[in-house]
Amino acid sequence: MGAGRDERAWVRGAQRGSVSDLEALFRAHWPRAFRAAYLVVHDAAAAEDIAQESFLAALRALDRFDRGRPFGPWLHRIVVNRAIDWTRARQLRAEAELGEAHSAPPDPEPLDRNLLAALAALPPDHRAVIVLRHLLGYTPGEIARALDLPRGTVNSRLRRGLDSLKEQV
Amino acid sequence: MKRELERIEIPGEHEARVRSWGVVRTAFAAREPARPKRPWKPLVVLVAGAAILAAVVSPPGRSVVDSLREVVGVSDAEPALFSLPAPGQLLVTGESGAWVVQPDGSRRLLDGYAEASWSPFGNFVVAARRNEIAALEPDGDVRWKLARRDISLTRWGGTLTDTRIAYLSGTSLRVVSGNGKRDLELARNVRAVAPAWRPGTAHVLAWVAQRQVVVADADTGRIVTRFRAPESTARLEWSRNGQRLLVQARRSLRVHAADGSLRLDLLGREAAPIAHAAFGPGGTSLAFVQTAGGQSHLWVIPRLAPDASAARRAFAGAGTFSGIAWSPNGRWLLVAWQDADQWVFVRAGRKPRIAAVSNVSAQFEGSFPRIEGWCCAH
Repeated sequence: MGAGRDERAWVRGAQRGSVSDLEALFRAHWPRAFRAAYLVVHDAAAAEDIAQESFLAALRALDRFDRGRPFGPWLHRIVVNRAIDWTRARQLRAEAELGEAHSAPPDPEPLDRNLLAALAALPPDHRAVIVLRHLLGYTPGEIARALDLPRGTVNSRLRRGLDSLKEQV
Repeated sequence: MKRELERIEIPGEHEARVRSWGVVRTAFAAREPARPKRPWKPLVVLVAGAAILAAVVSPPGRSVVDSLREVVGVSDAEPALFSLPAPGQLLVTGESGAWVVQPDGSRRLLDGYAEASWSPFGNFVVAARRNEIAALEPDGDVRWKLARRDISLTRWGGTLTDTRIAYLSGTSLRVVSGNGKRDLELARNVRAVAPAWRPGTAHVLAWVAQRQVVVADADTGRIVTRFRAPESTARLEWSRNGQRLLVQARRSLRVHAADGSLRLDLLGREAAPIAHAAFGPGGTSLAFVQTAGGQSHLWVIPRLAPDASAARRAFAGAGTFSGIAWSPNGRWLLVAWQDADQWVFVRAGRKPRIAAVSNVSAQFEGSFPRIEGWCCAH
């Protein structure tokens, strides 16, 4: 059975109330959803919230989900849009966390750190485009539909984003 | 690039996955069949066509263009307040006076009072006009009155059987017993910030002196604690259990313990201006409004913790939110959206729900009312 057929079976099972099928969907999609959110927001706690909330949103709409469509792009679209919203909101709130309750995360490896820093230097919309293209493997046309952007805008953000990453990494 | 992005180590990924699966599985077990959503999305309607045409063809058209405004509001709002979404009574003030709004939407005017607030259990209202303070029943019967100069910022606290009312007379802070007797000055040169009674049997009051927040026993004058007040402190509020004191300033939102120590500093120095903030009735949640770039945002922190990233945006709209109030059961937040002339009721739980009421000013004799409190389901 191929991955697509597996996924359709899991969605069908979950729609019928099967926890094991739901778990299969979760195992297959949550790690990438979490990673995509993290690479846009650069905050592990927020990424957890976003991935979890997105999964719950998908769950709430599961009864209306068209089983002919793949689950991943639907979930990723929710995740990335929420991550962009969160990043904009954070800029608005400019929140600060109390150091006491938050031990600093371990430093990533140098290359990771460079790449993360370079990503962080991009505007959130550009980060999202890079993540959708290079982590999740969507085509520019698919990204344009997911983010409701003109395809030309997606292409230019990809180009500028990559140029910027190359300069810094 | 793909390999590099997949290689980045994310702190706590495994733990996050375990936690999230627990939440998702629980939600799945508790799920209901999906219901169709109400199309509540805020509308932004530009009154373009006719107004722009008028602007082009007539000299007074310039003023038409100048007055062209975004008309904002929840699109499927009720035309009038037919009922409140949760038990309890609302207290608001407008140009005509104070109004008590019942759960069925009926309203009673307490004529001529500029401000008002609830007694601790919602059995009475303390209302003030310039040189008079009065205790009233919600149906308007006056229990007592007291004449003092320049009265403002009345607050009633205490237990069912023993209460005090704090108020400002000019820049003096005074306290009178709930029966209208024993009116005494507690402090001088206080700032124009409403004092806050700490819930509990002792009559402990917090207020803002010139540079400090002061917490003291109002009967004995004994100082419990004092700490530095932000320059722009606008509001003090105790949590219902009396363990936390919220200090809201223009760009900071801080939660102190009862001994004055700082527990949470919820926003950073670059935060957008904070217009309003309020503890949820349980004291573990918090709602606040920020305004920036012509937009107002309602945030809810469901569980107060050192990590401010737990804030969720519950509602946003163009213009000004002039006040917020939690329903007594903590399930709903009332947002007074003055620029839309609407009251928006936002359900505060994980499943967002909006119910709105239009034409608010017209229902309060032409002025958009200020929310004073939503109190006490009996």
